[in-house]
Amino acid sequence: MRPFSYAAPATLAEAVTALAESGPGTKILAGGTTLYDLMKLDIEAPPAVVDIHRLAEIAAVDTTRPGEFSFGAGARMADVADDPVVRRDFPALAESLAKAASQQLRNMATVGGNLLQRTRCGYFRGGPVFPCNKREPGSGCSALGGLDRGHALFGGGDACVATYPGDWAIALLAFDAVVDVIGPRGARTVAIADLHVEPGDTPQREHTLAGDELIVRIRVPVTPSGRGSTYHKIRDRESYAFALVSVAAGVAFDDRGVVEDCRIALGGVATRPWRAPAAERVMIGERLTEATARRAGEVAFAGARPGTGNAFKIELGVRAVADALRIAGERAVR
Amino acid sequence: MSTPTRRVDAREKVTGAARYGADRTSPDLAHAVFAVSTIGKGRVVNVDTAAAEAVPGVLTVLTRIDPAELGSPGFVMGGGYGFQSLQPLTDDRIAYRGQPIALVVADTLVAATEAANLVRAEYEAEPVTSDLDAEGAETLVQEEAIPLPFLADIVVGDADAAFAGSAVRIEETYELPRQHQVPMELIGGVVEWRGDTLVVHEGTQNAGALRGGLAKQLGMDPAKIEIIAPYTGGGFGQKNSLQPHVGPLALAARRLGRPIKFVMPRTQTFHQASFRPASRHLVRLGADETGRLLAAVHEVDQQTSRHDLFPSMSTEITSRLYGIGHFRGRQRLVRTDVQTPGFMRAPFEHPAAFAFESAVDELAYAVGQDPVALRLANDTDVDPVTGQPFSSRYLAECLRRGADMFGWAGRTHEPRSMRASDGSRIGWGVASGVYPASVAPAVARLTATSEGKVTVGVDGHEMGQGIRTAITLLISEDLSVGVDDVTVDVGDTRVAPQHLTAGSWGTATALQAVHAALRELRKHLNVADSDPVDVGAAVAATGQTSVEVEATTIAPGQPPEIIERSRAGLVAFAGPVYPGFTAFSFIAHFVEVRIEPTTRRIRVPRVVSVADCGRVASPVTAASQVRGAVVWGIGASLRERSEVDPRFGGFANATMEEYPIPVNADIGEIEVGFVDKPDPMLNPVGVKGLGEVAMVGVAAAIGNAVFHATGRRLRRLPIRIEDVL
Repeated sequence: MRPFSYAAPATLAEAVTALAESGPGTKILAGGTTLYDLMKLDIEAPPAVVDIHRLAEIAAVDTTRPGEFSFGAGARMADVADDPVVRRDFPALAESLAKAASQQLRNMATVGGNLLQRTRCGYFRGGPVFPCNKREPGSGCSALGGLDRGHALFGGGDACVATYPGDWAIALLAFDAVVDVIGPRGARTVAIADLHVEPGDTPQREHTLAGDELIVRIRVPVTPSGRGSTYHKIRDRESYAFALVSVAAGVAFDDRGVVEDCRIALGGVATRPWRAPAAERVMIGERLTEATARRAGEVAFAGARPGTGNAFKIELGVRAVADALRIAGERAVR
Repeated sequence: MSTPTRRVDAREKVTGAARYGADRTSPDLAHAVFAVSTIGKGRVVNVDTAAAEAVPGVLTVLTRIDPAELGSPGFVMGGGYGFQSLQPLTDDRIAYRGQPIALVVADTLVAATEAANLVRAEYEAEPVTSDLDAEGAETLVQEEAIPLPFLADIVVGDADAAFAGSAVRIEETYELPRQHQVPMELIGGVVEWRGDTLVVHEGTQNAGALRGGLAKQLGMDPAKIEIIAPYTGGGFGQKNSLQPHVGPLALAARRLGRPIKFVMPRTQTFHQASFRPASRHLVRLGADETGRLLAAVHEVDQQTSRHDLFPSMSTEITSRLYGIGHFRGRQRLVRTDVQTPGFMRAPFEHPAAFAFESAVDELAYAVGQDPVALRLANDTDVDPVTGQPFSSRYLAECLRRGADMFGWAGRTHEPRSMRASDGSRIGWGVASGVYPASVAPAVARLTATSEGKVTVGVDGHEMGQGIRTAITLLISEDLSVGVDDVTVDVGDTRVAPQHLTAGSWGTATALQAVHAALRELRKHLNVADSDPVDVGAAVAATGQTSVEVEATTIAPGQPPEIIERSRAGLVAFAGPVYPGFTAFSFIAHFVEVRIEPTTRRIRVPRVVSVADCGRVASPVTAASQVRGAVVWGIGASLRERSEVDPRFGGFANATMEEYPIPVNADIGEIEVGFVDKPDPMLNPVGVKGLGEVAMVGVAAAIGNAVFHATGRRLRRLPIRIEDVL
């Protein structure tokens, strides 16, 4: 750990000012479950930290407004995961939080900070022993030809194949969430689909927010496919593990029992949260059967580009999509 | 007096009152952190410490220690004291990634950590060899490389000829990965000088080796060294010897005139301490058409380091699992670029039993026999290797009782023949485990007071297994005193030599010594051996306020002078072969796995384990030991693998997040049973070992259950989701 300056603004307005006045490399501290971790590993060494974890004005959860759920960025993962309305109307959202990390981490981590957590690629986190373009641009990617069981099938390239590690963003992406952002140049709204970027030639750049911008809240349109949804996470142990493959799925049926809305997003297999629109289209207008669900899974993983140790995640992913659609379908109102 | 329903130190542990090594504190405490090598092999040419030394609060940065000031501790399996012979910081050689290149001591942990991160080194790197078959790996035949009788290949009859002549032959190779112990308590503690006496507070299974090894390394009188380790927060073999951080800390503490605290970061525990080496096992089984075993061959390749030969004793158990007339073992060691591997719970027996008991299951299917019936049919009362009787052997009873408790009769033999209502495949598997019943020398010093309080200081280390509870119970029952009136001091060189507690000999060893001390006490008090006694009154009757007695015990057949080896901190245990008998503990495991129909997650909803560990000295902690060992077996067979990227050496998943030990959500019901019949020959208390045998065979039972569920025989651990898709 290196010395850094620390500010704890009392209001959102003060936080915006503090960020505007801080220099490059300033980091926003919320739950601290990723930032502290990376600072201890000497991978993040911010000269300044702005601590927003006490800002009550961005911590509210509102599930009472028609058509939209709103989650303050500072709300704790555990609180949203346990919210009875979210669990009933949007199980995929609640499950994506409940199946992440451990209870202790969920008690601290915020739903805003969670969106921007950094990859768990061991070569990235392992420090200077390993070349890593994300940590040290231009140094190379150790995962190419290395231990890549956990690495991406989608969205990777010669520079980086590190997986986006989160669960929550996968579920949000499936349901077209947006994030409200504030900064010195004012407020704006970013679709969750536009928040994260593929590594390309600049894997150190992971999202489209400016360094002085702050996520204020996350808004999710309420849809029937939210109620008929699940976050299906396959991992090496049943808690405290990142996904080998995860699927956020939502289904809504028309009155004939035909799928009229379908949402599929994938986690654990891509460099950013990964929507599978072609797979969704497979289901629209069809009945949800073992065969159509399997077909959707196959389409979802059609463009996968495996490395040396992660090809199994294609078949696993196909099956996970099929299972997720079945679970979602069982929950959907018919 | 009654049998307690909890371990005697449970309250201390749960409330945090128990003082572990790193819990020591003092106003002038300094903090140490090691900077470590980023290359996997070669030479360190230059270490630049300028930036590190400039960090405020840094007291010293040590990059090189004169070997005359700090010698090698010697390798614990080579007549020495250390987990490896190599003492980092004494020359420019880098033998493995993560080897210390500098010791930073500072006023605060934060400063020491920051400074260690600023140490920069230049290296001359050399190619790293990580795997058994990689270029540069050097294979040695163990009995030629280490000519010691107990490491020689076990040969009985002519196994190759008998195998060739057998009607049914199984020949398969099984592979097991490197694994790490990952005890909850990190390695480390506090090192301080009190005048010219060196005091080390550190969780260990072997305070004696810390004292003897430091005396050797520092050229000191062992009487001037005290090791204090009343609690160890899990050892599992990783804390069974002197670790190379202690010597440099002792030197630094002396130079600075301050006590130094060191807690090894989790990632460094993967690189600076021992681990379970990779191993490969070729098993040949020859049998007749009924499954009667006629011959077995067990050949082992096991990883070691360049600088030490960590031996394999895999065939010690596979030659005794069944009454096989012809057996040939062959154990080979493969040198790779790594720190010296070592003992991790059931170090050889877990891998060996996975291989052998998987092969036995394959034989059962080859001859169409029930796997329990086949094992019962091949049981033996005689040690096939020596021809001696077993001191006690209730493996058959373990199998029968376990089968009953599990409901084995409801199993259908064919693979893929059992299915749950949700479509999951059900697999039921069984395996046996055996583990040598060893005993070490021990000294017990027992004090009884006229108030009826009893204190004993004895060889032994409390590392969670419950030795303090077992000793307390023995005293409480013998002298009819309450458990609260008994104080047990273990892990402290001020009260006993503190021979290594490992190899499941701890309880038998300590109880034998305490039992002998109790006999001495009764003599002093003029009370017959078996009579009830009011100990407070009996002490008062001597006219004194307290009576102190001492007893020294050794293993059957050991010469009395063996205690001097123990006093020197050297390994001095005996077994499993004693004059006139052979002693092992036994267990049978029954496992149910369920495998999801589509994504094929493997779950273990229930396990039944029945053990023969002689008399059960402490029911509560014994059952806990077995449950813990079953959890270990689940981790070892379905999850844990220390990953290596051969381009870099070292270990890649060296954190608790990435090294997938099981979590509570992975564990189902574990039912434990005991035969609970005293072993009449091994010691007067009738106790054999338990902590390790409890893990032996779990992995095979799981693998056999996976075969039963899927029809797929998986011979490489861990078995992961991609293996059953």
